[in-house]
Amino acid sequence: MIRLENVTKSYSTEVVALREASFEIDKAEFVFLVGPSGSGKSTLLRLMNRQEKPERGAVWVAGRNINDMATSKVPHLRRNIGNIFQDYKLLTNRTVFENVAFALEVIGRSKQVIRQQVPAVLDLVGLSGKEDRFPHQLSGGEQQRVSIARAFVNRPLILLADEPTGNLDPGTGEGIMRLLDRINKTGTTVVMATHDQRIVNMMRKRVIQLDRGIIVRDQTRGVYD
Amino acid sequence: MLSRISYVFREMWASLSRNLTLTVAAVVTAAVSLFLSGLTLLIQKGFDNQLAQWTGGVEMIVYVSNDATPENLQLIQQTLEGQPTLIEKVTYCDVQCSVDTAKRLFAGDPTTLEKLTTETIPSYFKIVPVNKDDQVMLAQVATSVRSLPKIQRVATPEKVIATLSTLKGVLGMWTVVMSVALLFASVLLIWNAIRTAMFARRREIEVMKLVGATNWFIRLPFMLEGLLQGLAGGLLGGGLLMVVNNSWTSTVREKFTSDSGLTGFVVTGSTPIWVMLAMVGLGGLVGAIGSATAASRFLDV
Repeated sequence: MIRLENVTKSYSTEVVALREASFEIDKAEFVFLVGPSGSGKSTLLRLMNRQEKPERGAVWVAGRNINDMATSKVPHLRRNIGNIFQDYKLLTNRTVFENVAFALEVIGRSKQVIRQQVPAVLDLVGLSGKEDRFPHQLSGGEQQRVSIARAFVNRPLILLADEPTGNLDPGTGEGIMRLLDRINKTGTTVVMATHDQRIVNMMRKRVIQLDRGIIVRDQTRGVYD
Repeated sequence: MLSRISYVFREMWASLSRNLTLTVAAVVTAAVSLFLSGLTLLIQKGFDNQLAQWTGGVEMIVYVSNDATPENLQLIQQTLEGQPTLIEKVTYCDVQCSVDTAKRLFAGDPTTLEKLTTETIPSYFKIVPVNKDDQVMLAQVATSVRSLPKIQRVATPEKVIATLSTLKGVLGMWTVVMSVALLFASVLLIWNAIRTAMFARRREIEVMKLVGATNWFIRLPFMLEGLLQGLAGGLLGGGLLMVVNNSWTSTVREKFTSDSGLTGFVVTGSTPIWVMLAMVGLGGLVGAIGSATAASRFLDV
């Protein structure tokens, strides 16, 4: 599903975010990216949805080298990739329903599709009955669920999550992880960057560890350290 | 498709109402600059009317009575063309051509215009001399022509014509410079309004890009917003121009006599309407340029 071949990315001559990174992630895999701040986790995620382009190497997503992809094709690539963030990135002036519907609306889905898919995904993330609330009327965990619903409503092949439990208490974080696990079991590939040692150790999924832009460990059913 | 169109227009209205102050500022600036641009065109047209008979180096006009026979006209023409050392070019303007010119010259004086029918109006010969500065030669030609039959009068340009020509050049240049500067300011203001609108919605734009909205889909509401601002400015400026032109026309007609020299400065007929439509079009263009450049420049979040 995702393949990196000798990928190097630097932001300046002194700051090299990623060095010669190579790995492959299969369909429906769940992968943790771990490592200290500045180790290149977020850069890896940004390379996977073409928010960044590498200096060297190739990034393959769903069988296509996305570095060579024309800019006009990038939106179509992103429709197959859901994104989840630590700060949720919800639109504060829109309700829960509208936030989720927004992701379908802006890619031209019909009202009928929106009316069908949004309630279904809100039910999946456990937010039925809260459709008309605004983000500020929700807890952090609920806001993250809205963010997950928005990322998953278009049934993407891949979910990229950047520290999704970073702002949540341990109990709420576990709830979010159970939800991501359920989504993963539907066949969606999940790649999650995290600092949360407890969650990585609890989930026992594949772990790719980075240190100053270099992959130092790639372990199936691994732990944080 | 329908949902996309409704989304684009909904977002455009939302953005317009959210940035009301900037929107009003952009529309008013566009209106003022387009009003001035339109005014420039009308002033130029007024000067053209006033100088209609004296363009192309014409230094003498020989008016011929309405009852002149073709033989009379032929004799006059032969006499004029028979002086190649003095006269470079002779152009005849028949009765219909004369009526058309009078319509432009006396647009602000319908009373005089009514009297100038095909039955009463004189036809005329326009004369371009070999040397326009040779006053002795011009007087010699005038004398030789006056003695011919059916000549009504021989007119030569007065100082006022030369003054008008100079004034037209100077006024024309400065009003064009001012209009261009103001149009540029309008483009910048619309550009800035769109940039502010995009900044206010940067979170939405970021989410839209991440969920796979195309750049065109993101840009379109902003581009339409700028286009609408420009069109509104054009309508407002064009409307104001019509009001001012109508007021000027009625003032000249009511308060000035036909010998005041101002009647030619009145522009009537379809010209003001075309100028107004051009202002609306220009407004749209200003809006489109301002918003398109801003939408392309600031789309990256």
